[in-house]
Amino acid sequence: MTWVAWRLQRTELLITAAILALLAALLVPTGIHMANAYHDAGLSSCVGAFKGSACGQQIGDFQVRFEGLSHLTDLFTILPGLIGVLLAAPFIFDLEHGTYRLAWTQSVTRRRWLVGKLAVPIAAGILAAAALIGLMTWWHVPGVHLNGRLDTGIYDSEGTVAIGYTLFALGLALALGAVWRRAAASISVAFVAYFAMRIFVDTWLRDRLVSPLKISWRGEEPHVLSTAKIVSENVFGPAHVKVAGGGPISGHAQLGIPGGPGGGPLVETVYHPASHFWPLQLTETGLFLGLAVLLIGFAAWWTHERTV
Amino acid sequence: MSAPVAVRTAGLGKRYGSTWALRDCSLEVPAGSVTALVGPNGAGKTTLLHLLIGLGSPSEGAVEVLGLSPRRDAHDLLPRLGFVAQDHPLYRSLSIADTFRLIGRLNPGWDDRRALARIEHLGLDPGRKVGKLSGGQQAQVALTLALAKEPQLLVLDEPVASLDPLARREFLSAVLEAVAETQMTVVISSHIVSELERVCDHLITLADSRTQLVGPIADIVASHRLLTGPRSDGASVARVHNVIRESHTERQTTLLVRANGHVYDSCWEQHEVDLEEIVLAYMGYVPGALRAPAEEVVPA
Repeated sequence: MTWVAWRLQRTELLITAAILALLAALLVPTGIHMANAYHDAGLSSCVGAFKGSACGQQIGDFQVRFEGLSHLTDLFTILPGLIGVLLAAPFIFDLEHGTYRLAWTQSVTRRRWLVGKLAVPIAAGILAAAALIGLMTWWHVPGVHLNGRLDTGIYDSEGTVAIGYTLFALGLALALGAVWRRAAASISVAFVAYFAMRIFVDTWLRDRLVSPLKISWRGEEPHVLSTAKIVSENVFGPAHVKVAGGGPISGHAQLGIPGGPGGGPLVETVYHPASHFWPLQLTETGLFLGLAVLLIGFAAWWTHERTV
Repeated sequence: MSAPVAVRTAGLGKRYGSTWALRDCSLEVPAGSVTALVGPNGAGKTTLLHLLIGLGSPSEGAVEVLGLSPRRDAHDLLPRLGFVAQDHPLYRSLSIADTFRLIGRLNPGWDDRRALARIEHLGLDPGRKVGKLSGGQQAQVALTLALAKEPQLLVLDEPVASLDPLARREFLSAVLEAVAETQMTVVISSHIVSELERVCDHLITLADSRTQLVGPIADIVASHRLLTGPRSDGASVARVHNVIRESHTERQTTLLVRANGHVYDSCWEQHEVDLEEIVLAYMGYVPGALRAPAEEVVPA
């Protein structure tokens, strides 16, 4: 049955492989180029040490130079969803075209058919997500040294969350397709729903998955914040009057707020330090995997019990 | 002693939501018979066939196929069943040979050589994509898939409905040929009886989700007569025989009856009636409108 499921999924698997190959074709040369630039500029000696003005200048130059590329890779955050819904297609095609009736009246039971038919896209999804994570993690190494890996674009493609995203998108498409039995429609709606869920998690939920830390400081930004994810920041003038605040503030040095004693305004920063990376990753992965299990389970149950 | 039975249902019913697709269906299909399941569209034929092969599970009643329960014993029963679903679904992007390889993997008793020999006999190239074949050729591929399992029961759901007359003839000839070679039982559904008469020896009609006329075709044809005579209400005939349909002109009355023995009344002229007309009469037959209810034809 596994061979049969593989054979009927071949096109989608090849498309997935092609997407990953294209990605590698883009990332491998630019990644090598970026790593060389990082090395040549001697940036590794700047990281973790006191940042002198020369270092700051070099880091700034490096970031400006590769800004376009990192924005481009931010777009790849849609890939887990795209691969997930794509891998669901053969399952829904079987229902849409009525070929499940052909399959279910051969000598394998419906249960075995379901196991094979679901195991192949799940395994392929995990492998594809793992390949994506491996590639992006390698590519991001210089950026991670400088800025940490909690920024949305990097965080989404490192660690384990991408596996959760892929299986969640797969589960969404399977569940919709099991009931709706229209491949194109189910996949489109599943992708939109996946995207909406990702936006919700990226912009609201993620900061709340693990309790953030709080730090008050003046003048020079504490080193811990250079690789941290800022949740919110408040700036206080004399007599503790809030002059700016809310979300993350970029470039507080240039705020030009009259400083109190000790140089510069008082800043209160709520943040996730770099050490929160794994707690955040594992919590979020667990959330998406849990949803994926529910959705895939529902698709299997509906198909087993409700489909004739 | 009764003959061995391939399919037996008792009070079988299937409900989708609040509508019954099939109700109170009790029937037997004798082993080795070629049975036509005839009824208008929406009569519940497909539902019944799906219950037989375990695609659906009954809402009420019982079904037994080759002595097994289609859902509970699926593991043992499936290898012994051949099924061609309505519109003969196939993987259109696969070639015929790949389709065989695929379906072969799903059947331990698969005979690949036999399947390929059949396809070559039909003059088809095994390398052709299934999606590029004509409707008749696709139906033949689907039939080949079902036959290569060497099933004991072959179930065909409206196999010729979408085919042109020539393809219909070829398909049914292929079924006949296969039946002649083996001892298998065949159930074929259709909304047209005339095309099945050549192939089938048993008949089950289904209308309004209930069975109406069940038995060997030869007995059914032999027991039905068309009577024409001067205009009357036909009451004298209805006392002895079952009147299935009556129609009147100004001076003449025509009755289609299931005769209990001979019709002796000399004022009626008797005609033979063909199977299609009998079936159509039963389809249009409204229970309660006539005195005589339609009962099963008991084999002589």
